[in-house]
Amino acid sequence: MQITDPVLTSGWGNNFHSLSSRASASTVAEAQEILAKASTARGLLATGLHRSYGDSALNSGGTLLDLTSMNHIRIDRASRIAVAGAGATIADLEKAALAQSLFPPIVPGTGYVTMGGAVAADIHGKSHHRTGSFSASLRRMTLLLSSGEVVDYTPKDVEFWATVGGLGLTGTLLEVELELREVTSNSVFVLEKRVKNLEEMITILAESDSDFEHTVAWIDLSGDYRGRGVVSLGNYCAKQVKSKEATSKGPTLPSIAGKNFITPLSVRAFNEIWYRKPLKNGESSLTKYMHPLDGINRWNNIYGTPGFLQYQFVIDVGKEQIFERLFAGLRALKAASFLGVLKKFGERSAAPLSFPRPGWTLTLDYSTSIPGLEKFLQEFDEELVAAGGRIYLIKDSRVDPALIPTMYPRLGEWRAVRDSMDPKGLWQSDQARRLHLC
Amino acid sequence: MLNGFKSPGRIALIGGESEIGLAIISHLPQDKSREVILVSRSGEYAMDITVKADRERIAHDLFAKGDVDLAIVAVGLLGNDPSKSAADNLLAAMGVNYLGTVHFVELLVERMKVQAHGTILIISSFAQVRPRDDNFGYGSTKAGLDFYARGLASKLKGTGVTIKILRPGFVQSKMTKGMALPPFAITSEECGRYGAQALRSKKLITWAPSILKYVAVIFRVLPAPIFTRISHR
Repeated sequence: MQITDPVLTSGWGNNFHSLSSRASASTVAEAQEILAKASTARGLLATGLHRSYGDSALNSGGTLLDLTSMNHIRIDRASRIAVAGAGATIADLEKAALAQSLFPPIVPGTGYVTMGGAVAADIHGKSHHRTGSFSASLRRMTLLLSSGEVVDYTPKDVEFWATVGGLGLTGTLLEVELELREVTSNSVFVLEKRVKNLEEMITILAESDSDFEHTVAWIDLSGDYRGRGVVSLGNYCAKQVKSKEATSKGPTLPSIAGKNFITPLSVRAFNEIWYRKPLKNGESSLTKYMHPLDGINRWNNIYGTPGFLQYQFVIDVGKEQIFERLFAGLRALKAASFLGVLKKFGERSAAPLSFPRPGWTLTLDYSTSIPGLEKFLQEFDEELVAAGGRIYLIKDSRVDPALIPTMYPRLGEWRAVRDSMDPKGLWQSDQARRLHLC
Repeated sequence: MLNGFKSPGRIALIGGESEIGLAIISHLPQDKSREVILVSRSGEYAMDITVKADRERIAHDLFAKGDVDLAIVAVGLLGNDPSKSAADNLLAAMGVNYLGTVHFVELLVERMKVQAHGTILIISSFAQVRPRDDNFGYGSTKAGLDFYARGLASKLKGTGVTIKILRPGFVQSKMTKGMALPPFAITSEECGRYGAQALRSKKLITWAPSILKYVAVIFRVLPAPIFTRISHR
């Protein structure tokens, strides 16, 4: 165990580069030792696989505590309870669970998320309308507090909910206990439907929620920006399929001279092909279906040196007109996205900073080199807030901090619990500084 | 903190009344959430740059409320006050342009190194290229500052702290009011555009206007009699 000299680290979007020391711990004692050495001036932040897009997992001038070695997984088949270390990934958990005909009920679009990251972001997946977010499956969490104490919290504790979606700022997660669901095979039945525009997409998604456990739509925001796309509906099924792991086996996308290959033309060409692709109507591997982008390692390199941002927000059902304003603005900027995703959320969790809540969530990726995008998103944020919407903090890299208390009205409540858990202010991140969260 | 578009969230303008400094800020991408702190002789962040205690207090106060992402050091004194002797004018220019500025930049660097990020834009001058009879005193203070800034930039590699140098020629501003306009004179507004460009550039030095880079090369190699004749025009 040693604390390294400062090294450059970036989020998944490659649009931040932050200089911080790193220290790895594979045991609780090692983590406590690092904590004792950490300075409160720039603090400490637990880190995993850096899949958060912006600066949530960066801590310039401070220390990053790498807990990816704490990746143990134990499953009790009878109770369907899994105990997983903070560094265990969703992919690790899926593999271990599938071997016992079980599966995590809530998984995000990538398997490269650690338990620590999953809790810190209260991640969600295609099943949110049925299962809620990650915290719905949690039964216990073990946290290392800034005092050095190791404490267990359950959903009865306010500290538990402050940590869920708490961006790693309440303490360092060491272990979680979560409930898995039964599955009868390693597959999911997938039905895809091509839609001509946003209206049709919204109708099909809303109608399908009762019949399908997994619902999501790929939306084409290029060309005429009418929101055509492909709706993907899925249910767990009984048929075993031949399956490769979705993670780790695919090719790695190199960074070619730092060039950004995402241009309006390339996006339009890609989206045209994707829109016309043969539609699925049958069984698909569970892990491949859940994590479609994990087949290509480091796909974020496609955006080159300027990096990119992911913009994700949620808006109430009935406020869909805001999409028209967004699409018109993006069209004017010729800002084309090849990774647009629309999903209808279900119920919210009890966590003050958890993002998902009932409504529509739209996710878009954009290169940060698009002229005028920063200004447009600032203006759109204000319309979003006026319409009662909010953005997902784990994806953010540019929102006006003044909007956060309106987007997250329970921020004050969260701060009070956080301050009681970390009176020294040890847990810090670049995002917390940028958004004045603590 | 910088945001994902690399826009600074908190800027300190040292020389808060500097027309060039304010113009640089106005040419940065606009960001409603940005905090701009004006450090000048009066106001909330009042500082006399020639007073050590002032410099230390302000350096502390600037970082007490959060990270400083960008500091623009735009203090400067021509040292041409007709009510003062040449010696006193030079002393005043040295105090502001070199002694006070260099010490204050050191104080900023110390703190930016702790936060492991930050950019300091130092406004040097074309006057430091070669001594001219009419402004070699001022030029010598800027030459010292420029020399220091170049050394500092090299020393800070790997710390996350970046130094940028802007070398303007003659800039029409309050400081130069009433003076005859030499060739390549620009307005403070134009100079601001070059300053914003300096912050985007990967280069250490930006000239304002750009042509001065080549004029400087010529100035440096011109034989003394020719240079003196030209500079007297």
